[in-house]
Amino acid sequence: MISLQSIAELEAHSDRVWSVSWNPSGTLLASCGGDKTVRLWGKEGENWVCKYRLEDGHQRTVRSVGWSPCGKYLASASFDATTCIWENKDRDFECIATLEGHENEVKCVTWCSNGSLIATCSRDKSVWIWEVDEDAEFECESVLNAHSQDVKMVLWHPTKEIVASASYDNTIKMFKNDGDDWSCFSTLASHESTVWAISFDKTGERLASCSDDKTLKIWQEYLPGNTEGVATVGSDSAWKCVCTLSGQHPRTIYDVKWCSLTDYIATACVDNAIRLFKESDCNTDKNQPSFDLLHTQYQAHTQDVNGLCWNPKIPGLLASASDDSIVKIWQVVEK
Amino acid sequence: MAFSGALQLTDLDDFITPSQECIKPVKVTKKSGKTAAIKIGDDGEYSQIGIDGGEVKLEKATITLNDCLACSGCITSAESVLITQQSQEELYKILNSNKILLEQGKSDECKYVVISISPQSKASLAVKYKLNANEAIEKISGFFKQLGASAVYDVAQARDLSLVESGHEFIRRYQDKETDKTALPMLASACPGWVCYAEKTHGSYILPYISSTKSPQQIMGSLTKDHLGGGRKPDQVYHVTVMPCYDKKLEASRQDFYDDLYSTRDVDCVLSTLEVDEMFKREGIQLGDVIPAPLDSIYGRQGSAMNHPNNGSGGYLEHVMKHAAKEIYGHTTGDLKYKTMRNNDFKEVTLEIDGKVELKFAIAYGFRNIQNIVQKVKRGKCNYHFVEVMACPSGCLNGGAQLRPEEGVTQKELLAEVEGVYDENDATLECGSDELDQLYATWLGGRNSDKALKMLHTQYHAIEKETNALGIKW
Repeated sequence: MISLQSIAELEAHSDRVWSVSWNPSGTLLASCGGDKTVRLWGKEGENWVCKYRLEDGHQRTVRSVGWSPCGKYLASASFDATTCIWENKDRDFECIATLEGHENEVKCVTWCSNGSLIATCSRDKSVWIWEVDEDAEFECESVLNAHSQDVKMVLWHPTKEIVASASYDNTIKMFKNDGDDWSCFSTLASHESTVWAISFDKTGERLASCSDDKTLKIWQEYLPGNTEGVATVGSDSAWKCVCTLSGQHPRTIYDVKWCSLTDYIATACVDNAIRLFKESDCNTDKNQPSFDLLHTQYQAHTQDVNGLCWNPKIPGLLASASDDSIVKIWQVVEK
Repeated sequence: MAFSGALQLTDLDDFITPSQECIKPVKVTKKSGKTAAIKIGDDGEYSQIGIDGGEVKLEKATITLNDCLACSGCITSAESVLITQQSQEELYKILNSNKILLEQGKSDECKYVVISISPQSKASLAVKYKLNANEAIEKISGFFKQLGASAVYDVAQARDLSLVESGHEFIRRYQDKETDKTALPMLASACPGWVCYAEKTHGSYILPYISSTKSPQQIMGSLTKDHLGGGRKPDQVYHVTVMPCYDKKLEASRQDFYDDLYSTRDVDCVLSTLEVDEMFKREGIQLGDVIPAPLDSIYGRQGSAMNHPNNGSGGYLEHVMKHAAKEIYGHTTGDLKYKTMRNNDFKEVTLEIDGKVELKFAIAYGFRNIQNIVQKVKRGKCNYHFVEVMACPSGCLNGGAQLRPEEGVTQKELLAEVEGVYDENDATLECGSDELDQLYATWLGGRNSDKALKMLHTQYHAIEKETNALGIKW
């Protein structure tokens, strides 16, 4: 039996909470939302408390937050068309840079695994790659206009310099640097409506995606020369949908997170529930995997669940963000 | 008129793409009288039915290029807007009406049709039809003259004036740099995509830095309407330019280049390289078979144009650097060395005298490099004296309206070929040639005259962001 045990309910945001993100050491949880602030939560003794409140960085909703791999910097993406970079300076977080350029709402910000690049995406349909230099100066390295609609999320591959994006145009695209500029090398089309979120597994060879079409999909990477005979182009790998999970979610799925410690997949749904999935043990064919729904936490929140994040150090510790303006922390219990 | 997929503006990554929805409110002239109902006919037309039962067909709301230019909604306008107002159809209309007027014996009412061809378009067409640069432009000239054009010019001649004025403007700004914080860096203004972007999104932060010198197209426009018409009034001259990019259509439509007195523009119609090739197809001709016709010259007699190296986008950096080195430091530079910085579209050129860097210039092509320049200028961290800014990656030879590669040829390979043809004319004229001096004297009454300022310089206008409730959802 798998269940989710409520560990803490963090109330401080005065409006809906859009996104949550653990720092790399798993000690601080960042949350952001409609009240234009970012809050950082940590443990004091047995209690979770709000340790920092980052404000005055943004004029409108803060849609997403992302930590640098070193944990020293936090990026926040806002509907005010800017991205702020905050630096942890001993007892405080200070906004050290504002990335401007998107035409309108920035939807997501994410750092690559070695910390040298940042990706942002926006309602203006573009994905931007920014380079971080030694003096923490940020320069635009590429502007990618491959999507035909609003881009909801960007995510770096866990080890490679590849960025994936999910869009209102129903597709997921993958980009890489090919010498002088970045370009799209793969388009993952199978969802029938907006792709809201994507998440790589710990190997980076698989990707989970969730959508407005109420399905959760699992994609498998196929390298050039693969024995399965999946066609690839040049040195680029191909991505193929190997599993579609439908019927479990009655409404739009806003977020999906694949835990690198436990391999659980958690989903955030408009029906106020959080669901946990895992690959079946009995099936060993990677080309036809099956995933089981292990637990549904009905009424995890009183309104839409918008975002999730697995703690990177403590197995099974999950944070959730909701329209009910509350951030919750859960522990997966197996018994 | 159906455009192929390849021709759609939104498919080109060198364009700053239009935003999701047009937010421009359309002005509707209200007719007086009470309306009883609005009827949609079988043909989809809307009619207004008055209380007396009378039907009045309602006009379709349309958005003009001017609306687009004045709106902060999106960066460039929709493709359909460009097509309806500036296309080969418009030129054909004028040529046909000329024919009819001639038949009726009203030759004095005919428009004097002038075609100005950009060297970038020439190079693109030359490669496709396997001609050298000179053959190509004389054959293009022959084509337009057969159709009924009265004169055909090479825009490179007008570009000389643009370069010379840019050089002077730089010296002036350099001298003012201590007292005027917005004197430097001087940002080149020949690319309308870049200018339009700056006006719409960065307004007053960036505009003072942009060179006031008109682009080659618009100087050609001033020349054509004011000097080369043989005494004709501006509205008796119909001026068409052939350009490597669609944004030139937007530039020609700017209010700054409109003559209120005669209700005419300096450039009446801009045709893209692709559209000219469409015209060849329509006329059923191969450019190679056309009987060449010599070009006309803005000097009234033979005269070539300056041709610097690295001038695929006009050679602004080359010219301004060489001019400034000479004027400010009495230094004659040899070939300039371009140092590639972040990527191939971002290069730096420095003038070092006795080991000290005196001038630092840069080339910044493509949207990503424009971003970095703009952000640095905004934060006061841009240490360049001059930046040649162009919206297209690889510059104007790679303009969005240049011919596409044929099957089996990559964009890169085609571009290399076009560059090869473009660089064929290596006759480098020194600026300050007799011809230019004479033109300044006879047309403008000398350098720095009021007329020179009016004919060779322009202004930019910050466009206020419209706070439209529809645009803000959160």
